[in-house]
Amino acid sequence: MLVTFGNVSRYYNDWPALENINLQVHQGEFLVVSGPSGAGKTTLFRHIWMGDLPSTGAVEVAGYRSDRIRKSDLPFLRRKLGIVFQDFRLLPERTVFDNVALPLQVAGTSPKAIRRRVFSLLAEMELNHRRGSYPHELSGGEQQRVAIARAMVSHPVILLADEPTGNLDPEVSQIVIDLLIEINRSGTAIILATHDPRQVPAGVARFLYLDRGHLVNPNLWDGYRQL
Amino acid sequence: MIHLLSNAIQEGLLNIRVKLGSFLITLLMVSLSFMVFDIFLIISWNLGTVLKNEQENVGIEVFLSDNLTEVEAVNLADIISGMEGVRAVYYVSPQEAEAVFRADLPEQADLLTLLGPQFHLPPSIQISLHPDYRTSEKVGGLARTVSGMDGVEDIVYGKEYLPGLTKAVDILESLVILAGLVLAVSLSLIVANTVRLAVARRALAVQIMSIVGAPGWFVKIPFLGEGLLTGVAGAAGSLLFTVAVSWMLSSSIHHEFLPGKWIMLVLILGASSGAAGSWIGMKSGIPKPRS
Repeated sequence: MLVTFGNVSRYYNDWPALENINLQVHQGEFLVVSGPSGAGKTTLFRHIWMGDLPSTGAVEVAGYRSDRIRKSDLPFLRRKLGIVFQDFRLLPERTVFDNVALPLQVAGTSPKAIRRRVFSLLAEMELNHRRGSYPHELSGGEQQRVAIARAMVSHPVILLADEPTGNLDPEVSQIVIDLLIEINRSGTAIILATHDPRQVPAGVARFLYLDRGHLVNPNLWDGYRQL
Repeated sequence: MIHLLSNAIQEGLLNIRVKLGSFLITLLMVSLSFMVFDIFLIISWNLGTVLKNEQENVGIEVFLSDNLTEVEAVNLADIISGMEGVRAVYYVSPQEAEAVFRADLPEQADLLTLLGPQFHLPPSIQISLHPDYRTSEKVGGLARTVSGMDGVEDIVYGKEYLPGLTKAVDILESLVILAGLVLAVSLSLIVANTVRLAVARRALAVQIMSIVGAPGWFVKIPFLGEGLLTGVAGAAGSLLFTVAVSWMLSSSIHHEFLPGKWIMLVLILGASSGAAGSWIGMKSGIPKPRS
C-alpha cells in the first residue's frame, strides 16, 4: 500500500478541513479526487507530502507514518513523491533545464547523471527545444509540462497533481490529462485533484469525492450534476 | 554529499547573481559601518601604543643611604630581585650615577665640579617590573615593601601619573571591546534584515526546494553563505577604504595603520556578525516545513 489514511481528521480552529478520512492508494493506481472548491482536496494532498499533519488519526505514505516521522525524514519522503500544482510554481530565474533538474540537485545527484536524466525526460515530453527558455517565455501548457517533468525527474512512486489543468484551456488540459494517463501506464501511481472529474475517462481511474472535508460515496453524491 | 554541497554553494551564488545590485548596496552599507569602527580602532591603536610605551617605562628607583657599602647594596639588590613582580634589578654606583648625570645633562655638569670632590650622587637600584605589575596598585605595594628595608633612603616611581595612565589604558581597552560589540550587533541586524528580505523574495524557491526533498541545511546554506560573504567582504572593503583614508592623512597626521592581528580581528568580526545575522534572518524568515 502506498498511501493509507486511517481515521484522519484535520481541524483549523475547530473547523473541519478533513473529517474521518479512511483511504488507501495502491501501487500504480490512478485516483481522481474531485469536489468543489474548499472541499479539502489540497488539505488531503498536504497530508500526503506531510506539509500538514492530522489533528487525529494517521497517514502512512511510502512507509513513513505521520505520527512517527521525524523532521529529518521529510526530505526522504518527498523525494519519493512528485508534486504538480495548478499555478505550476516554476522558479522564474531558472531555465527549463534547471527547473527540471532541481529535485536531482537537492538530492545530491552528480551533474553528469542530472544532464543525462533531464535531457532524456525533456525529449520524452517534447520539451528539449525549450530547455534554455525561462518560464515566462513558455505557454501555460508548456509550463505545466515542465512542472510535470520536474515532478517525474526523480522517478517518484506517486505523482500528486493538484488541479493541474485549473489554469489551462480545455484543449491543453486534455493534453496534460493524457500525459498523466501515459505516466500512470508506466507504473507510477497518480493522485489527481480536480473539480471536474469528467476530464478523466471512467475506465482509467478510481474516483473519490470530497465534500466539506468528508469522503462521499460517489454513487450517492449529487455534486456531479452541479459541475 | 560532495555534489549536494557543491549544489548548495551554486544555489547561493545564483542568489547573489540574481540580485547583484541589492547585494552590492548592502555590502557598501556594511563597509561604511565597519569603516567607522576601523578608524576608531586606528585611533585606539595609536593612542594605546603611546600609553603602553609610557607603561613600559614604569619602574622603581630605590635610592640607598650613603653609608651602605657596595657589597651591602648588591646584597639588597639580590633580595629585591627575588620579590614577586620584579623582572630585573640594576645597581647604579655613585660613579655610574655621576657619569649618567654628565651624559644626560652636560650643561649642568659644572654643578658637580662646584660641589667639590667630597660630594657624590647617592647609589641606587633600578627595578624593572613584569608587565602585569605595571599598575599603580601593584607598583605602590612593591614600593612600600622596599621602602621599609634597611639601607633604603628614598623611593621614586610615577605615583602621580601612574593611576591615570593605568585607568586610561583600561578605559581604552573597554571602549574597543564595547565598540566591537555595538558594531557586531548592528551589523548582525543589517545582515539579518538583508537575509530576511532575501528569504521573502525567494519564498517560492524555498518552498519548492522543501517540497522536492531538499534537506533543511541545503535550503539554509545559501543564505548563511550570503551572510558570511556580506560580513567578510564588507569588513575587507572597509579596510580598503580605511587604508585609502589613512594614506591620504599620513602626511598631516603621523600614525600607524592597524597591525595584522587587528586586521584579522576585523575580518573575523565581519564573518561572525554576518553568520549571526543570517541565522537570525533565517530563523524569522524561513517558513517551517510543517505548519
